[in-house]
Amino acid sequence: MPKKFVISNHIRRLRFFANEMTQQELAEKAGVSRQTIIAIEAGKYSPSLEMAFRIADAFGVTIGEVFECAVEEGAKK
Amino acid sequence: MSYQEKRTIVMMLTGALVLAAYCIYAFGQVNAGVVSLGDLRFWARTILAFIGIGIVATIVIQIIFHILLSVGIVVTKTIRDGKVVDEDIEKSVEAEMVEDEMDKLIELKANRVGVALGGCGFVAGLFAVLLGYPAAVMLNIVFIAFSLGMIVEGFVQLYYYRRGVRHA
Repeated sequence: MPKKFVISNHIRRLRFFANEMTQQELAEKAGVSRQTIIAIEAGKYSPSLEMAFRIADAFGVTIGEVFECAVEEGAKK
Repeated sequence: MSYQEKRTIVMMLTGALVLAAYCIYAFGQVNAGVVSLGDLRFWARTILAFIGIGIVATIVIQIIFHILLSVGIVVTKTIRDGKVVDEDIEKSVEAEMVEDEMDKLIELKANRVGVALGGCGFVAGLFAVLLGYPAAVMLNIVFIAFSLGMIVEGFVQLYYYRRGVRHA
């Protein structure tokens, strides 16, 4: 059975600790649209590696502190 | 509603308007008895003209949309902040109109649906000819299928913007 990778993120928490950074501010820092930040934060879109690095860079943290991956064994494809 | 969603709706409305105008004009001519279904030159001329009209209408409406959007941003900012500097306006407009990888992915996925619908129209047109309908029927089916494909593409884009999109 193939493994299923569920990607989650801590963007909301990181925004809070970054002096309640707005989604617009984060979007501008990462060079993406606010719509994309909203979708990523809500778990509706998984960004590319490059975008993930840019978001992490906007917070000044590593990519592992922004995104997390849980593996579900034996998930249906 | 985001800039991308607004732009998609404007594109859909433009496509629907051009398609409606085509149907009213072309089928109006047939109903009035001015042209027959067998007059291929008329259909070729009309479809080519409406492809041109569609391109021009899309460009003009997009320009008007962007002007109105920029005015809307300035008005909103002025009401909120009191006074605005030109640089702030420029920055806000640019930030609003950013296109990134998610937009491109959504566009690609929606485009696939639109092209598939156009392809189905082409096959349906071939079947129409096989069933003995005039070639003009095939032309109309193909043109209408591609035009509808453009509108459906918009709906698919809106769906992905609302529900989210996956790479796989």
